[in-house]
Amino acid sequence: MSLLSRTYSIFSILGYYASTFITYLIDSIILLLVAAVAIILTIYFFRKYMARVQLRIGPNRVGKYGTLQLIADALKLMGKESILPRLRDDLPYKVAPILVFTGLMIAFSLLPYGSFFWIGDVFISNSGVGIILLFAVLAIMPIGELLAGISSHNKYSLTGALRSVAKDISFEVPMMISVLAIVVMASARTPESLNIASVVSSEILPYGILQPLGLFVFYIGMIARASYSPFDMGESESELVSGYSTEYSGMRFGLFYVGMFGTILLGSFIVSLFYLGGYNGPYQWNLGLIYLLIKAVVVIVISFTVWLTMPRIRIDKFVNLGWKYLFPISVINLILAGFLTLYLGW
Amino acid sequence: MVAMSDWVELNIGPHHPSTHGVLRLKARVEGEMVREVEPVIGYLHRNAEKLCENTFFCDNIIYFDRMDYVGAPGMEVGYLEAAEKLLGVFPPERAVWIRTIMAELSRIASHLIWLAAFGLELGMLTPFFYCFDLRESILTIFVEASGSRLLTNYCSIGGVYQDFNEKITDEVEKFVQDAPKKVEEINSLFIKNDIFISRNKGIGVLDKNVAIEYGVTGHMLRASGVEYDVRKAEPYLAYSKVNFEIPTSTKGDNLARYLVRIEEIRQSIKIISQSIKKLPEGPFFNPKAKKSMMIRLRGDGEVYARTESSKGEFGVYIVGDGGVKPYRVRVRSPSLRNLSVMRELGRNVMIADLVSILGTTDLVFGEIDR
Repeated sequence: MSLLSRTYSIFSILGYYASTFITYLIDSIILLLVAAVAIILTIYFFRKYMARVQLRIGPNRVGKYGTLQLIADALKLMGKESILPRLRDDLPYKVAPILVFTGLMIAFSLLPYGSFFWIGDVFISNSGVGIILLFAVLAIMPIGELLAGISSHNKYSLTGALRSVAKDISFEVPMMISVLAIVVMASARTPESLNIASVVSSEILPYGILQPLGLFVFYIGMIARASYSPFDMGESESELVSGYSTEYSGMRFGLFYVGMFGTILLGSFIVSLFYLGGYNGPYQWNLGLIYLLIKAVVVIVISFTVWLTMPRIRIDKFVNLGWKYLFPISVINLILAGFLTLYLGW
Repeated sequence: MVAMSDWVELNIGPHHPSTHGVLRLKARVEGEMVREVEPVIGYLHRNAEKLCENTFFCDNIIYFDRMDYVGAPGMEVGYLEAAEKLLGVFPPERAVWIRTIMAELSRIASHLIWLAAFGLELGMLTPFFYCFDLRESILTIFVEASGSRLLTNYCSIGGVYQDFNEKITDEVEKFVQDAPKKVEEINSLFIKNDIFISRNKGIGVLDKNVAIEYGVTGHMLRASGVEYDVRKAEPYLAYSKVNFEIPTSTKGDNLARYLVRIEEIRQSIKIISQSIKKLPEGPFFNPKAKKSMMIRLRGDGEVYARTESSKGEFGVYIVGDGGVKPYRVRVRSPSLRNLSVMRELGRNVMIADLVSILGTTDLVFGEIDR
């Protein structure tokens, strides 16, 4: 049972409207808290890992081993004045960071996280068209970036936003086609091939082994979605100061920052769910969540290593990469997946 | 020529993450393409040349420290080449070799800063710290020799501030042993990366003739195919007695400049390893320039001396009127000439490439603005 229906059954005594309202309120708060803790752990892990790679120690002053550093940083960001540019377009300027963050949070609520001992299956909602919904929600984030870039009325921001958009349209199509290949393959094994949970459950052999090309395209897409090096043209610190988020400060900037690390976390979950077998593991002892987390951490470590060693690719080269390489590869992958499913029944 | 209405004037600098301090680039951009670029300098002007006129010959060294502050001993050597010729006080053999070692160490230190910043400009975070790790071992030697990490004020008229003791020579020998491996490690982070190659190959090509016309020197000239290095062309210090090569390339692009610089680091290590073996015994300063005598040194006439600093040909012109202070001091800054060619290089390139081209020119603003 999903978290939503569990909470609803507790409050159903209050009648339909009241219980629905309370259910969504409580579940949003739970989601926000859990996601915040997870993202903070990701950032902490990133900073420690980056420090180790770069012959440094990393945060070690606030709390034991610097564990409270991120809390301190978050408090600092909240306490800071949010400096607003005078020539901004007020509404889009203020909505943009919220859009980025909200899109991310909704995406988190759509994923199944496997089972965990006595709690049973951990997920918030189980939509029948989860895959479509997930990528539709993820497509909101670039709109936030574009709005931020345009409404700041800053040349750096505008260039950064345009780069972001150029980047998004060139990797999202191949990425969606490689997801389609998964749906094709899952359709032979489960009647609900658009439901994320049933796709993952049908994954006896991880789809990453059956579709290495798809994994390749999708992983590059996820890196580009989270926009870190080598695909951080939208922010590109040394060229455009910080791209679309140049004019943001305080917690509004914090939302962009959290959005970036949240996307890395989300991306690693999605990659491990779709391609690495997700919460399936050798023993069926309700350990799904643990398996998923292990796989996600492995993906995160690979992502961070890529981040720390790669220089930034130029935007025109990335557009080339997207349309001339990733797109044909993903189409070939789709054809192969259809062939395997139809004729070999894999 | 682009119609005026299509331009957007983008200010890169004076405070911008990639402009090495205080350069301002007025770029006329059309979308992602930079059509024209105009460097604006002068934000770090400190009047160093004028200040030199009011100070004793022996004290002027500190102003030269603050010119190319990432490799200060190299600048001191440049000034002293001129000042000692004017004053007629020459350093003994041991001081010459010590200065050679310090100048080469400062060249490596400066090149490492450049490499670190160049990595950051391309979006690589990690090599930055590896470069600083290696640079740290050079700074340890500087501290041991002069008591200061950055602005050493080590060389003085007629010698050096302090003799190389056992500890310093040990440190230098250790550096010579460790450095080649570390340099190769850092180099492999760059050169084995396809994105790095694609970002730099064929970008910012500087033609040989253009380079000569603009008076470009140093690695930029050598990468464009001119084998010119003051250390070979007009040897000073002990460079005629050591064995080294001038790295050149005919490509003239970013990658060539990068490779030339990496090879320069290797050659500098080679020079240091030879110098530390050949370091003769003897006094480390000229008795004519004892501390009590130093401010009484008088210079008359004009001299011009040039040295190969880490950025290129560094020239110092001093006029003396027979007094204890110089009448006029003028500096030929290599970075300024290397920057002036940005107008040619920054035509019809992408914004991302403009930043990487600027990275390979290696500017230090202490020296350009003085």
